Amino acid sequence: MKALLLGNAAVARGAWEASVAMGCGYPGTPSTEILEHLGRYKDVLVQWAPNEKVAYEVAMGVSLSGHRALVTMKHVGLNVAADPFFSSSYMGVNGGLVVACADDPGMHSSQDEQDNRHFARAARVLMVEPADAAEARWMTAAAFSLSERFDTPVLLRLTTRVCHQTALVELGDPPTADAANAAGHGYRKNIAKNVLLPGHARQRRLVVEERMAAATAFSNESDLWNPVHRGTSSVGVVTSGVAFGYVREVLPDASVLKIGLSYPIPIARIRSFAATVERLYVMEELDPFLEDAIRAAGIPVEGSSLRPFCGELNLTLVEAAFRKASEHGCTNASLDAESVATPLEASPDAATPGASPDAATRGASADAATRGASPEAASPAASPLGGTEVPPRPPTLCPGCGHRGMFSLFREMKLRVMGDIGCYTLGALKPLAAMDACLCMGASIGMAHGLTRFASPEDSSRTVAVIGDSTFFHSGIPSLLDMIVHGSNATVVILDNRWTAMTGAQPNPGTGLDVNGKPAPRFDIPGVCRALGVRRVREIDPYQLEECRQALEEELAAPEVSVIVSYKPCLLGTPRPAIAPAVTIDLDACDRCGACIRVGCMALHEHDGYPTVDSALCTGCQICLQVCEPHAISVNGFTGQTSSSRTSTEVPT
Amino acid sequence: MSILNVLFCGVGGQGILTSSRILALAAMHAGLDVKMSEVHGMAQRGGNVDTHVRIGESVPSSLIAKETAHYLVAFEKLEALRNIDFLRPDGLAIVCPLEIPPLALSLKRNHSYLPHIDDILKRTAPRLEWVDAEAIARQMGDRRLVNVILLGALARHLDISTEHWKQAIRDRFSPAAQAACLDAFEKGATHDHMCTPA
Repeated sequence: MKALLLGNAAVARGAWEASVAMGCGYPGTPSTEILEHLGRYKDVLVQWAPNEKVAYEVAMGVSLSGHRALVTMKHVGLNVAADPFFSSSYMGVNGGLVVACADDPGMHSSQDEQDNRHFARAARVLMVEPADAAEARWMTAAAFSLSERFDTPVLLRLTTRVCHQTALVELGDPPTADAANAAGHGYRKNIAKNVLLPGHARQRRLVVEERMAAATAFSNESDLWNPVHRGTSSVGVVTSGVAFGYVREVLPDASVLKIGLSYPIPIARIRSFAATVERLYVMEELDPFLEDAIRAAGIPVEGSSLRPFCGELNLTLVEAAFRKASEHGCTNASLDAESVATPLEASPDAATPGASPDAATRGASADAATRGASPEAASPAASPLGGTEVPPRPPTLCPGCGHRGMFSLFREMKLRVMGDIGCYTLGALKPLAAMDACLCMGASIGMAHGLTRFASPEDSSRTVAVIGDSTFFHSGIPSLLDMIVHGSNATVVILDNRWTAMTGAQPNPGTGLDVNGKPAPRFDIPGVCRALGVRRVREIDPYQLEECRQALEEELAAPEVSVIVSYKPCLLGTPRPAIAPAVTIDLDACDRCGACIRVGCMALHEHDGYPTVDSALCTGCQICLQVCEPHAISVNGFTGQTSSSRTSTEVPT
Repeated sequence: MSILNVLFCGVGGQGILTSSRILALAAMHAGLDVKMSEVHGMAQRGGNVDTHVRIGESVPSSLIAKETAHYLVAFEKLEALRNIDFLRPDGLAIVCPLEIPPLALSLKRNHSYLPHIDDILKRTAPRLEWVDAEAIARQMGDRRLVNVILLGALARHLDISTEHWKQAIRDRFSPAAQAACLDAFEKGATHDHMCTPA
């Protein structure tokens, strides 16, 4: 039976079919939906951990118990979990352990573009790479068997276009009670294996090498994992992940060795494949991971010289790559663009006027290929818009977001803001543009500690660390300890919106709910800070700008660590917080200063040089009202003005 | 390889993902292969959203290449323009004449929405159909129906039977919402699409 599934849902389905006992992880685009879908299967325990390292360690515990575990994270999450990940390669598993880790080529929602395939090689664990949602289902299920067979965690390497692809997926059978029992074969005490003292680890080091040798032999032999699609042309392509689909479309006649089990790399299989073709290419996204290994084995191959070295691949780039190869003497004749006849078009008006569809398509594709390959051709003049610049529509803080007032204050007070990862990183974008640095999860506090020690006194006294609630729990707490222990006088602002919001409002230790919405213990952030030893902890309402400004000035001046907790639940949380009536603007009173527009709210538009309110979007947070000096903005007649001499009028819209 | 490419675009929250899913489901019911690529994460914060749907006997990859889309279904005019270069030389843009201004950066620039955008679209789209789904949805009393109305307008160009479309709509919506959605789909499929925006 086939179903239309998101790639991440297919991973969850595969894990469930394989009788996984538990899924845990930390939210991160593009991996988040795996656990959200896994949570819908009643017989699987699903938990969001405070960070990826904790999630990994919990999963290791599940494995030690003899049950199967799935741990999920985005690519940078594996940096956080790298410590247990590397050592778990030595310890091996009891129940199967699959590490679903999602890379983000093109950095749609990430701070770097690391290619996590290197982790598999560095840690010496097996790695599998699905090319689409259907493979994501069966490869996840099969990865648990590989994990147990080779006594190793298995890295399930995903990328954005696999995670967020929706496609037809052939479903496997639901887990039977027997399979679930067989998977859980009980705890086994084994000190020499599971206690990684140096003496034990040196023994395990050899076991790891033996395992990888056995896995290499398996990978070389496996028609299931590393199939050959035999074509009619003399060209051969080695490929993995999403690149496989592009290769199939661009070179339908080529022979393709598709690498699904991509570590250990099946070099002997690649060598035999190379012997059957005239010219060998490798097409892979990001680093030349396979290519370097193929070259090191002395097999002539081309690949990375034909494609961009960074960013996502797509049909245009892959076509351009093979076109370039063709110019370099490739004899293959099948380098045409995908032929795009359209069997579904019934309407006669859909026919190409004038030219034959085939000719039109070829011309267009060749042009597109050239554009992708040469930077000068990508100039606006070459686009059909003839130089018209389409205004960008960047993501912004939602109307009513508690972060908006704080960032408009940071900007107005000219603070040096050491930022962090979350929705509030959008505070770095115009018109707020009120963030100075953002490095990785939890880095704000450590950077502020270091910066305030060596910056000029003027800069130092105007520096804040800004971190969200989930990021604080993730990795901010040790940094705050560091500040306290070393007598820092820095100021930390914790933007507590009660949810891990950027990834779609998942619960965290400060939410008070578990993944299924059931009540859970709730960590009180001000209480946690006081318990750590921060004497100056104060709580503010970020909708009250004057109160916030005063708190910031006082704490920046204080000669010790201080924490300001700005609390406003995310409007996307569950249940949705109540919202207030929309504001109105008196255009007669408006002096067009633009202060309201500069708080960067989607509910405020510019129209004929004046601000207008979209009452359907406005949540009545009144941040714009508080920055409006002529008091032209009001809600229910209230303008924020202390004197009662003025009244506002309805706005004609 | 014969693959039909349909690109949906608009602003986060307009129901673009739902439309794409319904098309994908209809294709599945019609016995075809389908792959679509979606945008998650940052797009939820008022950013632009696009989804690529590819349908055929066998579809290896999920992203549409520039200048190869047969149909562009745009929920908003600026987003139509942003994605217009995905259309084939004989492609069709189905555009809802709605203007959602992007975030204004100042009052001084005085051009948060592109002037003459209708003319630019008429000039740049190989073929263009205005479908005022917003007005139809308002008449029907529910602005959320915009996505199904636009699907109806797309459906009359595709060789997917009405039964498969209806089945897809029933898959996607609760029984309570189905009647209104099927009605909206029908209105999108039958309205006078040649109307120009006011």
